[in-house]
Amino acid sequence: MKKYILKRVLTSILTLLAIVLVLFILMHLMPGSPFNDEKLSDDQRTVLYAKYGLDQPIVIQFGRYVVNMLRGDFGVSYNISKNTPISQLIQSRLPISINIGFFAVALGAIVGLILGLIAALKRDTVLDTICTIISVIGVSVPSYVFALALSYNLGFKWKVFPMLYNTADALNSSIMPSVALSMFTMATIARFTRSEMIEVLGSEYMLFAESKGLTSSQIIIKHALRNALIPIITVLAPLVVDLMTGSLVVEKIFAIPGVGSLLVNAIQSNDYNVVIALSFIYSALYIFVMLVVDILYGIIDPRIRLGKEGD
Amino acid sequence: MDAYFVLKKQNEDINIDSNYASQSFWKEVRHRFFHKKSAVVGLIFIILIVFFAIVGPGMTEYDYSTQELTQKNFAPRVPGLENLGILDGTETLSTTTGSKEINQYEAGGHDDLYYWFGSDMYGRDLWTRCWSGARVSLIIAVAAALIDMIIGMSYGLISGFFGGAVDMVMQRLLEIWNGIPRLVIVTLLLLILRPGMITIIFALMLTEWVGMSRIARAEMLKLKEQEFVLASRTLGAGSFFIIFKEVLPNIIGPIITQVMFSIPTAIFTEAFLSFVGLGIPVPQCSLGSLISDGYDSFTTHPYQIIPPIIIMALLMLSFNLLGDGLREAFDPKMKEM
Repeated sequence: MKKYILKRVLTSILTLLAIVLVLFILMHLMPGSPFNDEKLSDDQRTVLYAKYGLDQPIVIQFGRYVVNMLRGDFGVSYNISKNTPISQLIQSRLPISINIGFFAVALGAIVGLILGLIAALKRDTVLDTICTIISVIGVSVPSYVFALALSYNLGFKWKVFPMLYNTADALNSSIMPSVALSMFTMATIARFTRSEMIEVLGSEYMLFAESKGLTSSQIIIKHALRNALIPIITVLAPLVVDLMTGSLVVEKIFAIPGVGSLLVNAIQSNDYNVVIALSFIYSALYIFVMLVVDILYGIIDPRIRLGKEGD
Repeated sequence: MDAYFVLKKQNEDINIDSNYASQSFWKEVRHRFFHKKSAVVGLIFIILIVFFAIVGPGMTEYDYSTQELTQKNFAPRVPGLENLGILDGTETLSTTTGSKEINQYEAGGHDDLYYWFGSDMYGRDLWTRCWSGARVSLIIAVAAALIDMIIGMSYGLISGFFGGAVDMVMQRLLEIWNGIPRLVIVTLLLLILRPGMITIIFALMLTEWVGMSRIARAEMLKLKEQEFVLASRTLGAGSFFIIFKEVLPNIIGPIITQVMFSIPTAIFTEAFLSFVGLGIPVPQCSLGSLISDGYDSFTTHPYQIIPPIIIMALLMLSFNLLGDGLREAFDPKMKEM
């Protein structure tokens, strides 16, 4: 087990380093500099380059960058909010995004689990078909379409929830974005739960549990659901990625002051320090989640850590 | 006693033998596929959308880029349907003084004009733009999926076939690559390259091949120990002959299925990029950029955003249904996920 964890941690660190390198190289290839202003003379530009350390050799810039990144010092923003340290920009925004993401995962997981359970237990009935249709729609319709639909109907027409995010009323304003984001999670988990449950319900040990005389709720909760839940952990990692992508657009639609909308702004205004910083944070978060999921899965299912990797 | 004990899993018909004529692989696949209603529905929708994407833009007198600034924000008006009171060019505008119903066609004296899906904020015909957008999105998605297939398939097959150190290195590289969120790769790439169709295809190509290569590798690991591979090798076949001529035809099912699943992902990613502002440059359009344009005025003119959203949702839904159907058709024993 120790060896497995060590291996996974090492790969994760390597990945993170590779990402920093890729980010660094890509950012240097980017057209346009933040000092595109025509009013600047060449001399002024040189001074600016020197001020931000852009005149140093690439290797030194990179080395300095890695150290700074690990310390959480991402430099200052060039365009979005001049000379504000990026860590400060992110600090106020990250909790909002994480809150909404967390709500979305929790909501999606609970509703998805219930839908999947109903579909599996009432297999081949109308209920099953309804649950399947809901989950197919959830997988195929992008989260921002849900966001737009919610915002138009609940926000604009009926005015149930605020259409745009309002920091003073954070709870009410997070409901629509969370619901929109949770649709994909919900649908994926529902599909997965359904197929896992059907497989578990058909197994011999379920028959055995039933013949012992356990009540059906005991069987389902203690025996079936527990075994079905294990593989569901694996879908969590890809879902985190989807949440990240979804959050960008959903945050734009609801004007949420989170990291997603910051990234969109940074991309559009060519503020490459911010893009680097956010890409790094997104990657680090993603790698961390993957690592946790892999280790959890290794602990729960011994076949994984004993070298049966494959797919 | 009978009330206490109920027999489970007593299938009487399990003892009955039935004989089936042996059928070729493809015939069976076709049979299973057409027996799944949802898959057939998906296929029909895809065919319809592809059909309209090809002929749709030519069905009107407008083209996708001509701006007619005197005719902007016209609501949909369809000949025939207009007499029924729907899609007759009227729209309800909510203003601060209350809502009022207006008909731009009548107000402007354009009685002979018909915008089937309405016109946008620059007076361009949305019907034409929607279908040329669908065309662009489809071209991007299919091209990206096919290139992914070639790269991912080759990578996975080679990695799985040679095994050992080659596999080890290739898989570690893949793990690192897979550890970078796709969002980051695509965004960064589109920042350094000029936005356009080729760039988007390239970005999608870089990110989506990983899933394909995993499937190809897993299939290769399953197949390479089999006797037909040994036989081929005994006959003196080289590695690449075995990989591409012997093994590849046997794993075509899962590969096609995976392609069907990567198409909706590609459509979605493209739409997402357009929404963020990194998509197809104007005046060209894609489903994503149409949704993004419509979003700007979706509270006042909701009809502008509805057609592209419906086309995209239908397209993604249909490809998912088709993929599900194909997976079951190729491998009925496989789990449903």
